[in-house]
Amino acid sequence: MDFRFSPEEEAFRQEVRRFLDEALTDEVRTRFGLLDTPERQRFGDKLAERGWLGLGFPSEYGGAGEGLRFAPYILNQELLRAQAPIVGKNVGIIANVILRHGSEELKKEFLPRIFRNEIQWAIAYTEPEAGSDLANLQCRAVLEGDEFVVTGTKRFITSAHFADYYWAAVRTDPTAQPKHRGISLLIIDASLPGITVTPMWTIIGERTNEVYFDNVRVPKKYLVGELNQGWYYVMEALNFERFTLTSTVPTEQKFRRLVEWVKAAQVDGRRLADDPGVRRLVARLAVLVEMARMLEIRCICTAVNPENVAAVEAAMNKMWGAVVETELADATLDLMGTPGYLAAGDEEAPLGGQVLDDYLFVGHMRVAAAGVDIAKNLIAKRLLGLPSGS
Amino acid sequence: MDIELSELQRQLQASARRFLEDRCPLSLVRQLENSDPGLPHDLWSEMARLGWLGLPIPQERGGAGLGLQDLVVLAKELGRALCPVPYIPTVVVAGGLVASAEGFVQRDALLARIMEGSLIVAFAFLERGQYYDYREVEARAVPTEDGFVIDGTKRFVEFATAADLLLVVARTGEGAPADGLSLFLVDAASPGLEVSRQRTSARDPQHRVTFRGVRVPRERLLGGEGEGWRLLRPVLRRAVVASCGYMIGVAEKAHALGVEYAKQRVQFGRPIGSFQAVQHYLAETVTQIVAADTLTFYAAWCIDNDLPEDEVDAVVAKAKLAAGEAVKAATFIAAQVHGGLGYIEDVDITLFLRRGKQLQLSMGGPRYWSEELAASLLS
Repeated sequence: MDFRFSPEEEAFRQEVRRFLDEALTDEVRTRFGLLDTPERQRFGDKLAERGWLGLGFPSEYGGAGEGLRFAPYILNQELLRAQAPIVGKNVGIIANVILRHGSEELKKEFLPRIFRNEIQWAIAYTEPEAGSDLANLQCRAVLEGDEFVVTGTKRFITSAHFADYYWAAVRTDPTAQPKHRGISLLIIDASLPGITVTPMWTIIGERTNEVYFDNVRVPKKYLVGELNQGWYYVMEALNFERFTLTSTVPTEQKFRRLVEWVKAAQVDGRRLADDPGVRRLVARLAVLVEMARMLEIRCICTAVNPENVAAVEAAMNKMWGAVVETELADATLDLMGTPGYLAAGDEEAPLGGQVLDDYLFVGHMRVAAAGVDIAKNLIAKRLLGLPSGS
Repeated sequence: MDIELSELQRQLQASARRFLEDRCPLSLVRQLENSDPGLPHDLWSEMARLGWLGLPIPQERGGAGLGLQDLVVLAKELGRALCPVPYIPTVVVAGGLVASAEGFVQRDALLARIMEGSLIVAFAFLERGQYYDYREVEARAVPTEDGFVIDGTKRFVEFATAADLLLVVARTGEGAPADGLSLFLVDAASPGLEVSRQRTSARDPQHRVTFRGVRVPRERLLGGEGEGWRLLRPVLRRAVVASCGYMIGVAEKAHALGVEYAKQRVQFGRPIGSFQAVQHYLAETVTQIVAADTLTFYAAWCIDNDLPEDEVDAVVAKAKLAAGEAVKAATFIAAQVHGGLGYIEDVDITLFLRRGKQLQLSMGGPRYWSEELAASLLS
């Protein structure tokens, strides 16, 4: 075993850090990871200029070709560390699935543009009646001649207000049993007539959207892979999503922030760091964070082999990451006492109210991209071979 | 970055598993419970023939010279089998100490006997079971003309009645608590030694050993006077990581028994493993085990690669806390999945339930290791 990155990979990490020191301005920095403003898109262009969007992808489609195997994960870690916009969705998820299952035509049309940061994507799976039970999705795509006609509603489509394309799971066979065998994956140009986007605001000010498709006509060639096989591509993409959009780096940062805060905090003139209960809690969180890091390493080491889809590893990583983030925010607020509920903007809010925001939003991590409970179902079935419920 | 087992490690894992499934069935484990001295002699001799007792001993001292990561692979297999042998006290602690004791005259002779399985060494270290370091030791060794006289009481001494020698940690000096410790190899037949069995959850052979004016010759002082903690510290780190491996093995096997039972036990007309409540318990515990497993190998890797001491100390503490929690949770949940049978004397899972919590509390419990970890983070 070797728990180190190679010297070349560490040199790449330093190169990314140097780049970020220069390119990451205040307008670019974001807590939500999106390339959703002109400044952030220009930042994405700079990543593209360096060839960092196509890391590991074949050069015939505009990729950077075979390189350092762990480079995409190192890049992701450093972007998250610096609170820069991240590239996991376009590259880690969509480009990967197009490469694995898309037609030659789709690869040629989309991969080079993704790697040049010319296009932004919105993932459109979830619907009002299809959340955890994603196979229940109803958004219809009916084939008429050379076009699919798409009608339906998608919900929680985070990037819809600036995306150029939707990566949409649609129902192409309403009679299929089981339901997941009637789903296809479609690329939908966001400029087509019949699409309406309305915002939904989260409690910490992040924008997500509801998207309505009203008889949107999509050329048939934008079907990804085979008709009615979309479920399998979506499941595979979710396995990428469970770790290409996150990392334990921010979790470690939050833990260190807690440690520094504890070291400085005093109650009645006594150091909080001397309280045995606090010490026990800090130790417990340190172990949980380190376990999360180990599960991430397992994920990366599995996924770095292009033959593998790290389904179980990704589910474990996702579940533990969400559990740790929850405990971390909750425990930190507990230590702060009553001022813990002072929100960002209040001058006395401990740590500027960031921990409160973390707490309020961490539940999102527990439900997004197949949540904690769905991840446990997957582990029970795929790893342990436990039978499905009826 | 690579977390796959090496070819050698995979072979060791496969051959150890085959051997232990054959020679160390749970029926043997059960039969040895509450027995005295409780050592499966034939099994120990066969382990010697397989070369396992020299596995971590350096090549220049006649051992195989394998690393701590390899040792973890073997310890996991011993744990899966609940193998009741003094591997950690005799091979990892005593073998490791003797091998590192420069200038100890009997060094190679003792190592040879440990490796051939003819010498059992018990580790007489803990007294109250509140620390796993120098603070634990109050027993005194007072110098005489030709040696030392030891007085004090040791507890949790595994295989004391099977042992030929006791490795005793005692105070020879004043000053800072870490400085005054020395190590002695005491003949188990020495006059003034009194051994009584402690009743444990695992029903394994652990003893209270009282020293009343026990005389030990000077040549049985291991390392210099007052050098005990300096010598012991790196060896204990390795022993703790090996015990993490053992705990992971116990946890994996208990969890597998729980999964197996959940698949075949039918209630409400279907296997209980199809219920989400049961699935989620098992999914959570397996995730804990997998994370603690990787963390244990990480700790071993840090030691094998000589990472800085303070870093190693923190990682070892984390591994011990994670593996301890994993073995506790896995054995507790696996018993719970068995329903009422999980608490019936002759059902296999209870062997695991009775060991899970004991292992977590062994070699320093969660309170001790949490404080160590907190001290390293908050200082």
